[in-house]
Amino acid sequence: MAVLEAVGLRKAYDGFVALHGLDLVIEAGEVFCLLGANGAGKTTTIQLFLGFIEPTGGTVRIQGLDVAQHGLETKRHIAYIPENVMLYPGLSGLENLEFFNQLAGKGRVDRAALRAVLAEAGLQAEAIDRPVRTYSKGMRQKVGVAMAIAKGASALLLDEPTSGLDPKGSNEFSRLLVTLRDRGVAILMATHDLFRAKEVGTRVGIMKHGRLVASLATDELSHADLERIYLEHMHD
Amino acid sequence: MIRLIATKELRELARDGRFRLAGAVVLVLLVTTLGFGWRLAASVAEERSAAQQAAEESWQGQGDKNPHVAAHYGKYVFKPLGTLAFLDPGVDPFLGVTLKLEAHKQNLAHDAPAQDATAIHRFGQLSAASVLQLFVPLLLIALGFAAWTGERERGTLRQLASTGVSMRHLLLGKALGLAGALAGVLLPAVAVAVAMAAWLGGGADPGWLGRLALMVGAYGLYFGAMAGLVFFVSARAPSSRHALVVLVGFWSVTSLVVPRVASDVAARVVSLPAPAEFAAAVRHSMENGLPGGAPREERVSALSAALLKRHGFEGAEAFMDEAMLQGIELQAEAAFEDEVLDHHVAGLATALARQERVAQWAAVASPFLAIRAVSSGLAGTDHAHHRAFQVQAEAYRRALVQALNDDLARNAGDDVWRYQAGRALWERAPVFAYVAPGLGWALDHLGVALAVLVGWLALAWAAAWRSLRRIPLF
Ligand SMILES: Nc1ncnc2c1ncn2[C@@H]1O[C@H](COP(=O)(O)OP(=O)(O)O)[C@@H](O)[C@H]1O
Ligand SMILES: [Mg+2]
Repeated sequence: MAVLEAVGLRKAYDGFVALHGLDLVIEAGEVFCLLGANGAGKTTTIQLFLGFIEPTGGTVRIQGLDVAQHGLETKRHIAYIPENVMLYPGLSGLENLEFFNQLAGKGRVDRAALRAVLAEAGLQAEAIDRPVRTYSKGMRQKVGVAMAIAKGASALLLDEPTSGLDPKGSNEFSRLLVTLRDRGVAILMATHDLFRAKEVGTRVGIMKHGRLVASLATDELSHADLERIYLEHMHD
Repeated sequence: MIRLIATKELRELARDGRFRLAGAVVLVLLVTTLGFGWRLAASVAEERSAAQQAAEESWQGQGDKNPHVAAHYGKYVFKPLGTLAFLDPGVDPFLGVTLKLEAHKQNLAHDAPAQDATAIHRFGQLSAASVLQLFVPLLLIALGFAAWTGERERGTLRQLASTGVSMRHLLLGKALGLAGALAGVLLPAVAVAVAMAAWLGGGADPGWLGRLALMVGAYGLYFGAMAGLVFFVSARAPSSRHALVVLVGFWSVTSLVVPRVASDVAARVVSLPAPAEFAAAVRHSMENGLPGGAPREERVSALSAALLKRHGFEGAEAFMDEAMLQGIELQAEAAFEDEVLDHHVAGLATALARQERVAQWAAVASPFLAIRAVSSGLAGTDHAHHRAFQVQAEAYRRALVQALNDDLARNAGDDVWRYQAGRALWERAPVFAYVAPGLGWALDHLGVALAVLVGWLALAWAAAWRSLRRIPLF
């Protein structure tokens, strides 16, 4: 079943077209990795799914609900992890998770259960009660993943979530995504990391000047193939 | 949801050392000004009641005298300090407290405390009310200017938006959090103020509790209006720094500039006669009669005839003793003088009341002016209350002079000016007891300022609410 769906999705800024009629369907258990140069329209796509910006044309649907009409309701199903997960620096990781989780309408969750979720997301036990001010980027990204797990999101929207992470952090993050994918979460991730895209993704899409110019299944593809196709598309 | 957001806001504030410090500073300022105000009020109240008692004793101990001479000799009364004056001295320090009551004259109170300002008096001018009116809004600005801009700048606004929380819930939660933080600072001060007022007012003044409760409510409206403005500006400002500059600018214009301009404008729109001019006009009417009225002699004899008629002596002057005629004559003169005074004072009072209304309307341009008027009105330290004191003192003066002239008419016989009354009469004469106006009366005079305050609150929150529709997420 289609969890994330874009139909003829367009976005223009004062005449400049950032996205030309995107059609995309992502099912439960799929990871779609969006590749493309800076300015290709990846962030624009993700923000349209989040309802942070309004489409100029076409529709975005989450679990069959039109984002334009059911803005708040569609958010129940999704979790968002930007390049930098931003949290309240004065609160601990646990307090941040508790706050955002309750905001998402999950009600009160036992703190022990939330600790378990943070541990599952890979946050070291000694960091859980420290103020987020003292966290590294990798630790904040893990809290972001924990937020998605605790919320029980059926779709994940990720915008270059591993940029700037060291290889180990990046590897841990990818493993978490695989776990979520295997639980049936639909994932849309913008990334520049071809290697991780091939590892984690079930499909990759190459975006250029606001158009999806290629969409490939990863199981038929080697790393070398992916890199070659990507670079071919980048030539003008 | 709202509670959850409020709790998170409070937790963040409580952990931020800067806000703890700012809150502590305001609380210390409040408690200090309350303490000074209370000490000053206690000593002033004692001073004035001692002075009143001394005046009463000197009145009774003035020895044997002709009653009309005693009326000339006069009597001092002192304006008692209202129970809540320690919270908000209002215009009290600039108005007189000593009033000489004597025949033929309606004096104005003199000896304003501000004239002989000792250190404690001067400190007394930084009252708890000025801390509440000036510093608490600054605290609100410090706590709230980044309410929206800060969330955006930290990137948490997008994270919030992705949870599906509504902006309205966020605003209400933030407002509740801010209210909680403020209550943490103010409630201890309120408790201190209640204890002090109970000590000062005790059972003698039953009205203070109602006035104090309304005062708390009025400050609630004021802080609510300021908070609404803070949220509105933070929602519309491009950055936290912009929000801070705009809010501090608003604060300084509305609480420092507008009040000065407003009093200048009020003085220009409604002109008041200079004291010397006023006195000259009164003197002129005393000698020549009121403009458009009969000349003095004619009016006095008309009044005297009316008095004779009232007492049933019409046409019987020949059978009356000298003292009776003299007494009647004195009363007729007093009645004429009262007419003249009433005419001039009423004109002055109307002009003053108009000026105060203009000043209250100026609050449209400054919520600070609105709360200043409401606060001093509830504390009983505004111009209206001062006039109420003058009016009661004047009524008392007339009753006193009449009692003395009555005694002269009744008991002096033919030897009018030789007649001497003694202690028995001085003790029998009425005693001045000022009755502070009730709460309803005070509210009556504050209609404009209260309406303007509520208007600010409504406007600020309507703006804060509307601004939610377009808060940029990034
Ligand atoms: N608010 C905006 N106003 C004008 N142009 C914008 C705005 N946001 C994005 N763009 C433009 O849209 C294009 C796509 O941007 P974006 O989706 O952020 O690219 P990517 O995430 O793939 O790097 C870029 O050319 C960018 O300059
Ligand atoms: Mg981007």
